This record gives sequence, C-alpha cells and structure tokens, in this order.
Amino acid sequence: MSEILFYLGALMIIIGGICDLFGALGLLKFPNFYIRLHAATVGTIGGAVVPLFGVGFLALGADFLPHKYAIAGASFVTGIIVLLAAPAGSHALAYAAHKTKIVKWEPKCDHLEVEE
Amino acid sequence: MNLENSFFLLMKFVIPVYLLAFIIYAIRAFKGPTIVDIILAVDCMSFDIAAFMAILAIYFKSAFLISGAITLALWAYLLDIYIAKHLVGKEVGV
Repeated sequence: MSEILFYLGALMIIIGGICDLFGALGLLKFPNFYIRLHAATVGTIGGAVVPLFGVGFLALGADFLPHKYAIAGASFVTGIIVLLAAPAGSHALAYAAHKTKIVKWEPKCDHLEVEE
Repeated sequence: MNLENSFFLLMKFVIPVYLLAFIIYAIRAFKGPTIVDIILAVDCMSFDIAAFMAILAIYFKSAFLISGAITLALWAYLLDIYIAKHLVGKEVGV
C-alpha cells in the first residue's frame, strides 16, 4: 500500500516538473500578455498544484520520514490554497491590464471594450 | 532498492528541471515589457518555489520548510490583488 502511494506521488512530481518547464517556455516565447496568461495557468496549476499533491502522497507512502503526517497535511493544505488563489490572482491581473489598456495588442474583436 | 534510494534517484532528475524552469521565469521577470508581465512571472515563480520547497522538505527530512511554502503561496496571491487594485484605482487602500 505504501509503495503504491509513493510511486503515485513520484509520478505526480515528474508530471509537475514537465508542466513547469513547458509553462516557463510558453511564458518566455508567447507574444503578448493575454496569451502568456494561458502559459501561466499551465505553470501554476500543472506545475505547483500537481506536485504539491504528489508530495503529500509521497510523504504518506514514505517510510524513511520522521514527520511524514505533518509534511503530508501541510502540503495538501498548500495545494488547496494555490488551487484557489492562482485563478483569482490571474483573473484580477487580466482585469486590471484590460481596464488600464497598458498591453499593446491587435484583437480581431474585443467584447469587453467600452465606448468612450 | 528501498524507497529512500529511489527517492534520491528521482531527485537527481527532477531538481534540474525545476531549476531550469525558475531560470526561464526569471528571464521573463527581468525583461517583461509591461508591469503585468513582471507580476505574472513573479507570481508563477512564487507558486512553483512553494512546490519546490515542499519537495525540499522531504529531501532534507524537515517539517519546518513546509510552513514557508504556505506563506509564500498566500504572499503571491496578495501581490496579485494589490497590484491589480493599484492599477485600476490608483491607490491601494487599507
């Protein structure tokens, strides 16, 4: 049973590392802010929430850790906090960037645009 | 091969990937054209450092590093909200 939890956590940490690398590459290469927001979601949800839950499972399955229940519980709590806070934060940033018009872009259509 | 040896073998492959991702996030944070790009890069980097700190807590077998991860996640959310409020309303408020 503990081996299953350990290897599930290890697989989630590997998936998190790959998502993290791809999110960082997208954040570097994409052309403007609103497209970079998509790569930022890959980098936070795939690259932070998945490895945090993976660390929790891995700590529950590990038999060499002295405080494994403290580490597992705190990493589950951190994962839930990131899962709730990251979309709210990126949405607030996108709202502020669109409201103040500081991003240079040429949209095909912008439904949120207000008439002056 | 017991679980501890396989965990340290996993860390040999996982830690360079995370460090490379941090370096790329830092490049975007330094050269971002607008302020929202910088804040977005710092935000992503803070959440990923929180995850990396949870991995380091198992690596060093210490429960104290996890409390730093919780604080870092909440701090990144606070940074987002304050910058958005300052950009929209020209003041932060208390």
